[in-house]
Amino acid sequence: MIENQHHFEKLYHEYRILVYNVALNYLQNTEDAEEITQDVFVKVYHSLDNFNQKSSYKTWIYRITINQCLDFIKIKNSQKRFFIFGKKSQNEIEYMNTTTFEHPGILMEKQEEAKILFEVINTLTENQKTAFLLSKLDGMSNPEICEIMQLSISSVESLIFRAKAALQDKLSEKFNNYRKK
Amino acid sequence: MEKENYIENILNSTNGMTPVIPSDDLFSKIQQRIHLENKVSPKTLWLVAASIAILVMVNFSVLASKSKEKTSSTTAYLEMTVNKSNQLY
Repeated sequence: MIENQHHFEKLYHEYRILVYNVALNYLQNTEDAEEITQDVFVKVYHSLDNFNQKSSYKTWIYRITINQCLDFIKIKNSQKRFFIFGKKSQNEIEYMNTTTFEHPGILMEKQEEAKILFEVINTLTENQKTAFLLSKLDGMSNPEICEIMQLSISSVESLIFRAKAALQDKLSEKFNNYRKK
Repeated sequence: MEKENYIENILNSTNGMTPVIPSDDLFSKIQQRIHLENKVSPKTLWLVAASIAILVMVNFSVLASKSKEKTSSTTAYLEMTVNKSNQLY
């Protein structure tokens, strides 16, 4: 039990920044990212005994984090649909209004551009968003991404390619609208 | 050209991004949650749920037997009164 506790503490200190940043890039909200980090490590603690060494701890924790983020978004979206006629809580408004979010890790002079980038990233499909964020923001290689997403390399390459194409299309549209104004 | 620059600028806006460090009290919050969850184990939860289910079932069976008893006693009373009023001898 004590050994397990030590192991858990070690894992926390090794991966807390990774988990928090993946959640922050995914959800673009510091409070939600903190909540996800808590959920992930509680899950890690309970599943530590059942962890089979087939993949590395890093891959395993990445997978848990991404799944937690996806579940979180699904729950938030279903809440939004359920309370469609009701008044939205402050938190929901904050969550939806991603354009007001300033990523604390991004350089001050690039904040405005980053807001637009996150806004368009949120329009991508689940898999495209995951692959793009892991590749672009976490700087992971395609083999690492395919291990996390449990997909083939060609699928990951195709996802990243399509994500970039979709982002370029959306940004091009944004540029045209901006010029019209 | 201007459009390409705009797109390129936005796509590269995350370059030089630094990792964000979560708050220091996060670990104690996690420990607290684990401790709380450990206090009420899933086994205890199942035991409580099973006890409630048994209690509800016992209540239903008692209610059912009581209503059955009541019906049979009413029928007996009716038979008795009918016999009294329609006495042939």
